[in-house]
Amino acid sequence: MPKAHTLADAKREQRRAYWTLVLPGFLVYISVMAFPTIFSIFLSLSDYSGGKLFGGKPVHLVGFKWYQNLFADEYFYLALKNNMWIVLVSVFGQIPLGFFLAYVLYRGIVKFADFFQTMIYLPTVISTVVIGILWKSFFAPYGAFPELVRLFNPQYEYGISNHPMLPVLFVILWMYTGMYLIIFIANLQKIDSAVIEAARIDGATEGQTLRYIILPALSGVLVTTAILAISGSLKSFDLIFVMTAGGPANRTSVLSIYMFDKAFKGAPRYPLANAISTVMVIISFVLIGLTKWAESKFGGRE
Amino acid sequence: MRDVKDTRSTRAKINLGLTYAVMIFFTVMAIYPLLWLAMNSFKTTTEFQLNKLGIPRDWVLVNYKDAWVRGKFPILILNSIIYTGITTVATLIFSFMAGFAFAKIPNKATKYTHGSFVIGLLLTLQSIMVPLFLIINWVGLYNSRLGVLIPYIGIAMPMGIYLGTEYIKAIPTALVESARIDGATYMKIFISIIVPMAAPVGVTVAILTVTGTWNEFMLINILTSSDALKSLPVGVQKFAGALSSDFGKQFAALMIGLIPMLLFYMFFRKEITKGVAAGAVKG
Repeated sequence: MPKAHTLADAKREQRRAYWTLVLPGFLVYISVMAFPTIFSIFLSLSDYSGGKLFGGKPVHLVGFKWYQNLFADEYFYLALKNNMWIVLVSVFGQIPLGFFLAYVLYRGIVKFADFFQTMIYLPTVISTVVIGILWKSFFAPYGAFPELVRLFNPQYEYGISNHPMLPVLFVILWMYTGMYLIIFIANLQKIDSAVIEAARIDGATEGQTLRYIILPALSGVLVTTAILAISGSLKSFDLIFVMTAGGPANRTSVLSIYMFDKAFKGAPRYPLANAISTVMVIISFVLIGLTKWAESKFGGRE
Repeated sequence: MRDVKDTRSTRAKINLGLTYAVMIFFTVMAIYPLLWLAMNSFKTTTEFQLNKLGIPRDWVLVNYKDAWVRGKFPILILNSIIYTGITTVATLIFSFMAGFAFAKIPNKATKYTHGSFVIGLLLTLQSIMVPLFLIINWVGLYNSRLGVLIPYIGIAMPMGIYLGTEYIKAIPTALVESARIDGATYMKIFISIIVPMAAPVGVTVAILTVTGTWNEFMLINILTSSDALKSLPVGVQKFAGALSSDFGKQFAALMIGLIPMLLFYMFFRKEITKGVAAGAVKG
């Protein structure tokens, strides 16, 4: 490039460089994420019933008809209830457990912290499909679980469970607790250890240090993990799809499975499926909003 | 006085013992199912029926041989490597490029372009699944590698852009400006200054993209129908999920599905845990 830039030339090169750098990624992103999101809302208000998207049967807007159908369907509430169970297990199971384990390792209470951390995180990296089939076989009537129970209770007989969500919730807890362990450890390590040492020298107990120094320093992270847990729980699909596919009789169905069934099982009902996904997004935004509200209301002042 | 001290240290010892017990309990809980799977993948189905919990009497490899061939694993693994490799490289390049522009080249549009990527962090796969399926069909990319790759790249972009932009922002602007004064073009600055300096965040973005893409199951399942295009998780689900009584083979197939990520974790443990902590920025 010659050095004889005029200011206008420089501005023009700057603009050209900006768009050359931004556009490739931006276009891909817009076409596979931003546009489909808007398109999904449009579909949920339409009477599109499959077939050619453009130039086929004309598509009309039908208002909130599909949403009304959805809210009148008992299976929607069943799926929603199961999703809420997953939210509860994630927020009040994975997060406290992950925090507890992280705290023990961070404070150096036990040796081999690295080993414990590596092993407890291991389930998280394995693909959900493998995990799902593994546990499905483990809990199956002919699997290891009934055998294990019989070691302690020889009378045990396998029967159809009254709580088919329990194994699913257990596996969710098993699989993702390690992720919260990792997040908490990384953030605990950011706390200035001199502050903790000073408090200990001044006679603060372990509990007081935790209550007055560590937890307040982590309040932001706690909110972030809660948001991660909520949005992750609402999204959960793979594991349940593989483990139970929503069965028996839809009793382990969740919103994303419910949506998948409407769109891809039997005659496609795309508008209804999109109404479900729109409702899912709204629920997730509301729950995240509530979490942030709770933080500003009761949260620690950092 | 002495008594008090003694009971205190005894109590401390009991507490420590309990803490170890708890930690060991959770570790066993985490790895026992995986060990159980590994052990049973070496049993014949007949032996599994008789011996569900113990170690195999004869360690047989026949399950692996059968699963490898009948499950068509070579092509599945190759596909997974193609999808993951191209998605990761493209995500890295696009994220660095756009991240550099957002962080160091002033432009009024950044508020909207960068902003739209940040909103993308909150979007879920569910909200785009059906429309994406329809659009991919409409443009004629259904059941093609490109029809899987483009969505994969787009989905990985928000996180890549977010982490990339934040990191590049921290590179001193003076470096860019002095290179500009020396007459370097933005492209040259990008290649010779930004890319080398942002390499550490590149590792994080790569780790997150690799794990996310390798394990992805839902989209590829609806965007492809031909066996030759399926990825490892879909293949495992189709093959192992359908074997309801041939356990030996099923477990071997699951092991084959598990080993690549296990190796990846062994080699990049530090980077993976760092990446996960850095990626926990949603919201």
